Amino acid sequence: MLTLREIQAAFSRALLGGDETLASAAVLGNGLAPGARLQIYRHHVFTTLTAGLRASYPVVCRLVDGRFFDYAADHYIRSHPPRGPCLFEYGASFPEFLAEFEPCRHLQYLPDVARLEWALNAAIHADDVEPLDPAQLRGLPEDSLALLMLRLDPSLTILSSRWPIDRIVRANQPEADPGIVVDLAVGGVQLEVRRIGDDAVFRALDPPTSAFRRALAEGHCLEEAAATALALDDSFDLAAAFQALFAEHLPVDFAPSGSRRENG
Amino acid sequence: MVAGGELITDDGSSGVPVAAGIGLRPRHVEEILTTHPAIPWLEIHPENYLGGGPAGRALEQMRRDYPLSFHAVGLSLGSVDGVDPRHLKRLRVLAERIEPALISEHLSWSTTRGVYLNHLLPLPYTEESLAVVCRNVDQVQTALGQRVLVENPSLYLRFRYSPIPEPEFLNELSRRTGCGLLCDVNNIHVTAHNLGLDPVAYLKTLQPALVGEIHLAGHARNDADGQTILIDDHGSRVAPDVWQLFSQALAFLGRRPTLIEWDTDIPALDLLLDEAHVAERYLTDEPSGDRRAHAA
Repeated sequence: MLTLREIQAAFSRALLGGDETLASAAVLGNGLAPGARLQIYRHHVFTTLTAGLRASYPVVCRLVDGRFFDYAADHYIRSHPPRGPCLFEYGASFPEFLAEFEPCRHLQYLPDVARLEWALNAAIHADDVEPLDPAQLRGLPEDSLALLMLRLDPSLTILSSRWPIDRIVRANQPEADPGIVVDLAVGGVQLEVRRIGDDAVFRALDPPTSAFRRALAEGHCLEEAAATALALDDSFDLAAAFQALFAEHLPVDFAPSGSRRENG
Repeated sequence: MVAGGELITDDGSSGVPVAAGIGLRPRHVEEILTTHPAIPWLEIHPENYLGGGPAGRALEQMRRDYPLSFHAVGLSLGSVDGVDPRHLKRLRVLAERIEPALISEHLSWSTTRGVYLNHLLPLPYTEESLAVVCRNVDQVQTALGQRVLVENPSLYLRFRYSPIPEPEFLNELSRRTGCGLLCDVNNIHVTAHNLGLDPVAYLKTLQPALVGEIHLAGHARNDADGQTILIDDHGSRVAPDVWQLFSQALAFLGRRPTLIEWDTDIPALDLLLDEAHVAERYLTDEPSGDRRAHAA
C-alpha cells in the first residue's frame, strides 16, 4: 500500500505526462482502465492551464494560430508546471520557453512579443502603491542626491527589443484593422509598460530615458542611472529626466543612499 | 450553529443569508456594479484577487453592496506537504481587507513538492489522509482566525485502499477540527454516478448541523469506453436529477445558504440569476425547514 506522499508524487508525475504505472496501481478501474480515469484529471489540468496561457498571451496565440499555441503550451506545462494557485501569475517563463522551443525558433520576434504581453499582465495585477510625494525629498542634503535610490511603480517594466513589438501587438488587437502590415525592417524599440488607472499601457521611450529608468528600476542610484543615459547621449538632461519621473508618478519610495537593492 | 433566524452563525458573527446567491465571475462584475441587481449574496474565488489593481478595487465595491463568501480552490487541504504558508498569508491579508461572511475550501489536494496541479485532486479516505487534512484545516483556521467550511469534491476515480466513506470522513474531519461542511449537491450526484454510490444514503450520512452551505451547478455527460462519466464542469443549468437531490438535501439537512456555480460557457447574468431564482423557490417551498438540524 502506498503512503499518501507516494500517491501524490505518483499522481503529479502521471498528470504531467510522465509515467503513470504507480498512480494507476493505486486506482480501481470499476469498468474503465485506471489510466482512462487519470486522463479525466489530466485533461482538466491541461485545458485550464492552456486557457490561462491563452488569456495572458492573446497576441502570441494569434500570431502562431491556436493549434500551434496549444501544442507549445502542452510542452510548456509539462516542463514548467505552476508553482502556486494564482492562475494570473502562471506563465512568467513562457517567453524564455518560446525562445528555446525549436518549432518556433525562426519567429525571432515572438519571445519579445511574449515579454511585452507578460509585462502587460504583470502590470494589471501589480500591487497598489501610492506615488512618492516629491516634498519628502526636500530635506535631503544636496550633495546626497547623487546617491539617492528611488523605488519605482511596481507595475513598471522597461523592455528593449530588436523588433517593433509595439507595432506587432497593436496590429494584432481584436479591433485592429486587419489590413495593417508591420514591417520588421523598421527595427527595434524601447518600451515602458505600466498600469495607469485600471489599464495596462505601453509607450516607446528614447534610448537614454529608457536606460535611465531601467537603471533606477534595477536599484542603481541616481548618479549611476544618469551615467548609463549619458553614455548613450551626452546631452541627456538629468534635471529634466528627474522631474519627468515625478510628473509621471513613477517613484513610490526612496532611500537616501546605501547598498543597492532590487526593485520588486 | 443553525439559527432560527435568517442567518447561519457559528460564533455570533454574521454569515450569508439563507437564500440563493451566485458565484461572481469577472465578466459580470461591471454589470453588477452598474445595475445593482437584487442578489442575496455572492461568492468569489479569492485566488483571482490576490494581486493588486482593478480586480481588488471592484471586490471592495462589491463588498459594500453584497454579503461575500470566499470559496478558495488553492489551499490544497489534502497535501501531505502541508499548506503553503505564503499563500495562506496572502489569503489572510485579503480576508482582513474584505471580511468575507464565509470561507470555504475543498476536500482535495493540488500541490505536491511545490508543483500546483490546478485541479481538485482526489484523496484516498484513510486514517493517514484524515490526519493530514485535520492538520491542514487546523493551520488554516488558526491563520484566518475563523472556522472554514470544507466541500465534498466531484470524484472520477476510487482508490484501491480507501476504507472510510466520504461523508463519514467529512463528519470526522469536522468533529476533530471544528470546521463546517459545504454540501455540493451536484458533486454528490456526479461522484455517486461515477463511483456507483447511493446519493441519498450519502446525504443521510452527513450530519445536518455541520452543513453551513449548499452548492448547485451543472455537469456534462461524457462517454468513455462505453461508460457514461459525469464531469463537474459548471457549464450548464442544474440537471433535473440534481434539483431532485437538492430537494432531498433540504429535507434532510434543512434550509441552507445555497449557491449557483457557473464557470464554463458562462451565460448572461440574467440566466444565472434565473437559475438562482429556481433554487430560491426550492428554499422557500421547503416546508419543514430545519427539522433535522435540531434533531441531529
